[in-house]
Amino acid sequence: MALLQISEPGMSTVAHQHRLAVGIDLGTTNSLVATVRSGKAETLADHEGRHLLPSVVHYSQQYSPLVGYPAQVRMAEDALNTIASAKRLIGRAASDAKTLAGHLPFNFVDSNASVPRIRTEGGDVSAIEVSAEILKSLKTRAEQSLGGELNGVVITVPAYFDDAQRQATRDAATLANLEVLRLLNEPTAAAIAYGLDKDAQGIIAVYDLGGGTFDISILRLNQGVFEVMATGGDSALGGDDFDHVLAEYMIKESGQTSTQAIVSLALMEARRVKEALTVHDGVETSCGHWKETITREKFNLLIEPWVKRTLLACRRALRDANLDKDEIANVVMVGGSTRVPYVRERVGAFFAKPPLVDIDPDRVVAVGAAIQADILAGNKPDNEMLLLDVTPLSLGLETMGGLVETIISRNTTIPISRAQDFTTFKDGQTAMTVHVLQGERDTVEDCRSLAKFTLRGIPPMVAGAARIQIMFQVDADGLLNVSAQEMATGVKSSIEVKPSYGLSDTEIETMLRDSMTNAQADKQARQLREMRMEAERTLAALDSALKTDAEQLLDATEIETILQAREKLADSCKLDDADRIELAMKSMEKAAEFYVARRMNSNVQSAMAGHRISEFK
Amino acid sequence: MSLDLKQNYFDLFALTVQFDIDKAALSAAFLQLQHQWHPDRFASGSDEERRISMQNTSFINTAQTTLSRPRLRARYLLELADVSFNDEIETSQDPLFLMQQMELRESIEDVTDADDPLDALDEIKADVKQQRLALEDAFQQHYLEQQLLEAKQLVLKMRFMERVFSEIQRLEEKLEDEFF
Repeated sequence: MALLQISEPGMSTVAHQHRLAVGIDLGTTNSLVATVRSGKAETLADHEGRHLLPSVVHYSQQYSPLVGYPAQVRMAEDALNTIASAKRLIGRAASDAKTLAGHLPFNFVDSNASVPRIRTEGGDVSAIEVSAEILKSLKTRAEQSLGGELNGVVITVPAYFDDAQRQATRDAATLANLEVLRLLNEPTAAAIAYGLDKDAQGIIAVYDLGGGTFDISILRLNQGVFEVMATGGDSALGGDDFDHVLAEYMIKESGQTSTQAIVSLALMEARRVKEALTVHDGVETSCGHWKETITREKFNLLIEPWVKRTLLACRRALRDANLDKDEIANVVMVGGSTRVPYVRERVGAFFAKPPLVDIDPDRVVAVGAAIQADILAGNKPDNEMLLLDVTPLSLGLETMGGLVETIISRNTTIPISRAQDFTTFKDGQTAMTVHVLQGERDTVEDCRSLAKFTLRGIPPMVAGAARIQIMFQVDADGLLNVSAQEMATGVKSSIEVKPSYGLSDTEIETMLRDSMTNAQADKQARQLREMRMEAERTLAALDSALKTDAEQLLDATEIETILQAREKLADSCKLDDADRIELAMKSMEKAAEFYVARRMNSNVQSAMAGHRISEFK
Repeated sequence: MSLDLKQNYFDLFALTVQFDIDKAALSAAFLQLQHQWHPDRFASGSDEERRISMQNTSFINTAQTTLSRPRLRARYLLELADVSFNDEIETSQDPLFLMQQMELRESIEDVTDADDPLDALDEIKADVKQQRLALEDAFQQHYLEQQLLEAKQLVLKMRFMERVFSEIQRLEEKLEDEFF
């Protein structure tokens, strides 16, 4: 899509020039961006020194979407226009969204669109667009920090993401005008951050405990091939549960009633205690008149049920991978909640080896993605690392009787393309429906439907004479393209599809055009807002000056002239027209010119204090 | 600057055309070619470079999958020797083999009634593994003696056994789910 290309790849490459590439961890709760600078991978901070960007976007009628901390602040007061956890929704069908709707505080738009859309004051948005806003914000941060346009990014996705979810993530990047070098599995990124890819072979467990989700992945590394052997976890388990159980304990012990205000206070205190307990053995706390020193032992006892549940998921993942615990060579810890000493202790005991914790668990995925981005951008021509991925699930087609014929089986090294011939089953048949499915089961209803399209224009022939070649192509990111071609007569008609839960190129183009128009509108809105604020400042300064010395310095007619200009400026502020305000400002300045001069002359310094001269110039 | 996509898979990896392959050599040649052609090497290259890299690695991956799986390797050897296959119609016609197959499937179905279904299934699994190895040995013999039609019959039997094996695996997963 020419529309999207910022710079033609391969053209701007000056030999040995360092290409700007970043890794992005697009998380459910927080997102990060990292890069390799002077050989060291590091996450990039915003101008206030914060590395994490809350994955929250706030939409309003007038202004462009707010991303991160400013959006998070609005969560309580304006929940319906504040979208968090968009990752839970990305690449999901509208029907999936309905089952999730009960857990997510969104207003879903009831429509027939394949992609679920959320109603906000700023318009209806999909999870793809929400994610695009987060990506844009990280892109801006990276470009400001690195001082140039990005050549490419590596974005991480959970290992269990299917084709539709991967496609949707890629669509979000396209909307954010990012050139995606590669989508990388999160656990693989964490393993790269620790340099485990340099080992010849071995099995790695990646334990990822975030604020609200838990993932366990078992990877097998064999001569450069990272294979995801099993994934498991719980999408509703995380460090937030630790805060809740501790807060509940504190409220109960203090004998208070759990009102909204008390609960949120207790939660804040619980979070503080939890964090302090990572370095101290005991932390003093209070709740109302009640005081207690919470010891690590006490805290461990409280969180035990949740930690146990993560270990059960680990056990299950090992069984799925057909492995014993002692076959695991390394355990990598990811996610802020793995800072809790008890979690580390139990995970270490379970796998009978100390887990890897040296890299900040919040940043480890972004760091791994940055290392991979640096290599893919061509900054390390001598690097030997090569990640070969496999298809996590089998891909196939619906055949007669609702059965699924596998075309590409799971664990096939990608990229791969495979063609299979089919034929017509009726005399004179001129069309054929191709239904693409993903999954390991034999029947259509047990697999996930990815796409459906019809090949038309097959020349009429007797049944079985036509030869229709269906080609499956999976690229290095695990994204699938399917095409069908009638070959028997040499007449070629072909069609390409992308998964139906992603967006088509035309849809993306429309959105991009919209966002460009919006950008124009955003700019105007910002100008208006700035002009209005400027006018209001001027009015306030004028009023304060008039109050102080108008009677000494001006006669009645002069006051009248100034007040008339003042009135015009105040009126113009009520209009949504920046130019009119600017005009009124100029007349106001002119009308007050002699007044300003007189004030200067009469040395009324005190009245000027706190105001800039420019306000009256 | 592209690979010759018409060459045979053995030539691609510089291996001798035979059933008994050098797995270490295959693996080493595969990785060397991947290093040269993988799309990650051309992530910031031109559209044409990326297309060629995609085609080449697809070819390399197909070749590697074909040669590393015994049944696919056997079939590919016969295709190189102009023996054709028609998957939709052809199956093994050997009555003795078909009888054994029926018995095998019956014993799999009976597993659910056993005292310990998973143990019973493990036994069948071990037996199927043995039979698959035996088929591979037999293929090797016939192929070396250029008895290609006999060799083809063995490939058809291998496919039977492959299906039985995945059936066993599915049942195993199902039993585990019920058990745990």
